[in-house]
Amino acid sequence: MSKPKFIEDSPGEKVLLMGNEALARGILEAGVVIAAGYPGTPSSEILDTLADMVPYHPHLKLEWSINEKVGFEVAYGGSMSNVRSVACMKHVGVNVASDAFMTACYAGARGGMVLISADDPNCFSSQNEQDNRYFGLHALVPVFEPSNAQEAKDMIKYAFEFSEEFQSLVLFRTTTRLNHGRGDVILGEINNITREYSFDWDRSRWVCLPSHSRVLRVRLLERLEEISEFADRFPFNNLSTSKEKVKGVRYGFVAAGVPYAHLMDALDHYNLRGKVSILKLGLVYPPPKNLIKEFYRNVDEVLVIEELEPFLENILKQIAYEEGISKEVIIHGKDYFPQNGEFPAELYYDVLARFMDLDYKKQSVPEDMVIIPPRLPILCPGCSHRATFYALKKLEKKMRTKFVNSSDIGCYTLGVYKPLEGIDIQVCMGGSIGFANGISKIQSKENPVLAILGDSTFFHSGIPALINAVYNQNNMLVVILDNRSTSMTGFQDNPGTGIKITKEPGTRVVIEDLVKGCGVKPENIWVEDSNNISQMIEKLEQAVKTEGVRVFISRHLCSLIEANEYRKQGIKPPTIQIDPEKCIGCLVCVNQFGCPAIMFDEENKKAYIDQSMCRGCEVCIEVCPQNAIYKESE
Amino acid sequence: MEIQTYNLLNVGVGGQGVIRAIQILSWAALHEGFKVRTAETHGMAQRGGSVASYLRFGTEVEGPLIPRGETNVILAFEASEAVRNFNYAGTQTYFLINEKLIIPPMIHQQGLEYPTINQIRKFLNDVSKHIHFIPADDLAQKAGNKRAMNVVMLGVLVGMNQIPIKRDTIFNSIMNFIPKKTKEINMKAFESGIETGISIREEKNE
Repeated sequence: MSKPKFIEDSPGEKVLLMGNEALARGILEAGVVIAAGYPGTPSSEILDTLADMVPYHPHLKLEWSINEKVGFEVAYGGSMSNVRSVACMKHVGVNVASDAFMTACYAGARGGMVLISADDPNCFSSQNEQDNRYFGLHALVPVFEPSNAQEAKDMIKYAFEFSEEFQSLVLFRTTTRLNHGRGDVILGEINNITREYSFDWDRSRWVCLPSHSRVLRVRLLERLEEISEFADRFPFNNLSTSKEKVKGVRYGFVAAGVPYAHLMDALDHYNLRGKVSILKLGLVYPPPKNLIKEFYRNVDEVLVIEELEPFLENILKQIAYEEGISKEVIIHGKDYFPQNGEFPAELYYDVLARFMDLDYKKQSVPEDMVIIPPRLPILCPGCSHRATFYALKKLEKKMRTKFVNSSDIGCYTLGVYKPLEGIDIQVCMGGSIGFANGISKIQSKENPVLAILGDSTFFHSGIPALINAVYNQNNMLVVILDNRSTSMTGFQDNPGTGIKITKEPGTRVVIEDLVKGCGVKPENIWVEDSNNISQMIEKLEQAVKTEGVRVFISRHLCSLIEANEYRKQGIKPPTIQIDPEKCIGCLVCVNQFGCPAIMFDEENKKAYIDQSMCRGCEVCIEVCPQNAIYKESE
Repeated sequence: MEIQTYNLLNVGVGGQGVIRAIQILSWAALHEGFKVRTAETHGMAQRGGSVASYLRFGTEVEGPLIPRGETNVILAFEASEAVRNFNYAGTQTYFLINEKLIIPPMIHQQGLEYPTINQIRKFLNDVSKHIHFIPADDLAQKAGNKRAMNVVMLGVLVGMNQIPIKRDTIFNSIMNFIPKKTKEINMKAFESGIETGISIREEKNE
């Protein structure tokens, strides 16, 4: 593919951009210098796209940081030095960054400083569906939310200007459908910012000790007040009022983000655009009080449309109460819309019909429904995690025990499903070792405690928990699934690969050295190739039976990256076949190992390999008890 | 062309090229001057799970999601995924379905039943009048690579006249997004899809 248009300075050009690409473009247009963060769906492509821009815009200084807290701090260091800076992360990443964020908001921004939080209603790729608008309320920081790709680009560009004008941090909230949806975008100019970049040595501002923080907090409250007053003029807030009544009632709607777009579609569906009042918010916190009062003067019944928590609904009800009109204007929200999940487009049709007494016919479901069992995501063909889980399961059988497998966030979480069922716990990044610290204090020796996590997750937040285990002698076996990549989010590099976001060489951090440095005894550290099953079982048994804190590094390159490397180098991986003469249809390969490239022919009761899927990893050869699986000779 | 709203739902299994297909079509729609919206499945759901991508364009489009019942075309790269998403269709919706069935490994592991192609056919015929199965994997294989299945299906969509975008615009978009090395294969795949689409149309007199 040729260089995308949105990397060039071609203002006025209309292009098609994914929300995350539009954000990257807006960041470029704003003249941002520092961008940092940690990969996490649905936010990852923002920094990935910026990285593609670096060769053409070398002023950009980017990094994948070790975790979101460090990512935020990197960006904030830029703001302290008077450059425009942005930190990008998924919603739960903000929890990690919050320690820095909740106090940085006191000192505020010098160079424009924006924190992008990509929320995930419906948990498409997340462990929860927390609503990060509350972080704005919590930190007294304004929250922006765009409703389409064009607005995402324009609004984030503006956010840096705003941040500098009010010396305030900006929390920029998006949701999955914005991040991972495409839309037409007209490009703007790329700002050329000429100013002095340097740190300003203002200790009363950057040193947040009690005597300073008390003063800074007063300033923070004043800032929020100034922003509140400005909110009525915020360029992405919009009030359109209508004098018309629908069935005798003046209806009003309040929405922001993607729900605003779907509201407009639903109003078009009923031909109601222009016949109701609409308050569209781009600044979801603090609220534009005068606009809201003006809105209230034009409506009798209000419906607030927002996914997840009743954030705007509560604010609107509070203002109606303060204005003494809570009897005159009736405000609805969560009595019509659910508080969980994403709103499907037809739900707007349905709710509008109920709210305004319109005709809407729900679809009928055919009687003879064919039931399709769910197709859940699974570990890829040739995935080395499958080999590790298989070895662990074999070992459990051999030792006649059940391990407590405390695990973590990453592709390997998919090991929870049949047939591997290799995961008993998954809550948060780095939690595997943390929980194992506690469980190991209680659990008897009959059920060994394992912490299982990936390379990137270990770097992200596994290290402190490992040191904790060593220090407090919380005995466990830590299994690091080192596939040399942050695969689930799009194969980003990490300290273990030593390659930087720009693909330039950085300094590699060797996990086994790091683990030694954390205080794990050298004799308690194993490094094995995940795909060598018999060796894995033997060494894992040693590791399980050893006392103390042990670390087992199961290493094999992510099969998707490996296949790509092979293709690039012109290497043909071996062809694996199943000999139908030898296969007895015992289904061990399918029902215990479960590589998706192994198929089963129901008619002949024989397993066979789908060659279009097989990566030639050879692991299944060892799995077959009949020696029916073999490598084809060249 | 004056189109208020055109809705296409592209479904399949992670790894089949759904995202690429939507990228190709949405780029083409933009080049025809339409307002465009898509919603795609990235991340976790790509690992061999069900994927659904939405494409909407026209003069009156704001949100990225398609209201159930209002889909013009369901483009299914795998047959059972068409059934999983049947309620996006109305009685006039065209189903263009790769007749391949990918049975998830979990079915064997859990001893579950999976519907057959015939059951799927029978059920969908009750949903809409326009159900079309296409041997897209075979056609892609003939063109030179099974992985060009998504481009075959785009050809069928064009050949059946079910998208208000010019054939050349879609062709250019395909060429823009595929690796140069695979140009020949994809050209053939697109052609054979178009031919198949045309012959289905002639056969059904539509």
